[in-house]
Amino acid sequence: MILVTVGMHTAGFERLIRKMDEVATTINEEIIMQIGHTKYTPRNAQYFQFTTAEELKALCHEARVVVTHGAMTILDALEQGTPVVVVPRLKRYKEVIDDHQLDFARELEKEGKVIAVYDVEELEGALKKPDLKPRELAKDRRLVNALKAYIARFEQN
Amino acid sequence: MKICLVCSHGGHLAEMIQLQEAFEGHETFFITYASARTRELERKYLLRNIGTNPLLMACALFSIFRILRAEKPKLIISTGAEIAIPTFYLAKLFRMKTIFIESWTRVIKPTGTGRIVYPVSDVFLVQWERLLTKYGKKAKYEGAIV
Repeated sequence: MILVTVGMHTAGFERLIRKMDEVATTINEEIIMQIGHTKYTPRNAQYFQFTTAEELKALCHEARVVVTHGAMTILDALEQGTPVVVVPRLKRYKEVIDDHQLDFARELEKEGKVIAVYDVEELEGALKKPDLKPRELAKDRRLVNALKAYIARFEQN
Repeated sequence: MKICLVCSHGGHLAEMIQLQEAFEGHETFFITYASARTRELERKYLLRNIGTNPLLMACALFSIFRILRAEKPKLIISTGAEIAIPTFYLAKLFRMKTIFIESWTRVIKPTGTGRIVYPVSDVFLVQWERLLTKYGKKAKYEGAIV
């Protein structure tokens, strides 16, 4: 199963949802999409608007691959050991306020954590690649530890 | 210690949840937006999504004023987005301490919220070292969630 998610963003993400709905007609695999505020209604793939964090995690676990925008669902999928194809939202299509998702996707691609797709026409090809497995995720403990130290300091004052 | 956790309801909430181990042993409550994902949180105040609507920002300011006055948290922590803006400025008024954590998804571009709350944040953290050049001396890089 391929899971597609576009998050809570009020802009929706029609470019991705429309393309994946088209892919659903040619690919021999079930596609489930979380479409959020996207106005386009999929005709070929299963879809829903929003769900709970728990349900999304279960879907990420079940999926062979997760296709998502350049945001936090990437981490949900990587935590489940599921390969991620990232399609960053772009400012020029008014999908997001600036191109930070592009910077983010490039960076994670460089680190070997995700497959980044910048042109939706290349999505179907990327989904058929056999080498989607991501590098193992190493949690960074430093930020949690730093926060604990700040909290302890504020507690004393 | 009582800690107020402030974030919007999607990825910013996901980042806060990633950090929850840091709050163990403290009393926490959320100020966030109403959605399928925030309904399951334990202690929370749910507001309407502000977005870029100035009228909703004014309503949120009023609601958050009442929440902070009643709850009196000693510390406020936010992972964004714009819901942090009224909260952090009110925190200044109430003399509450604040920690802002810029999103993991921000590698080189600062957020609008980050720029606005930077002057009133007691601690300001970014999750990519390169982003430090876009903020002043107060900003620190102390690792990321991943």
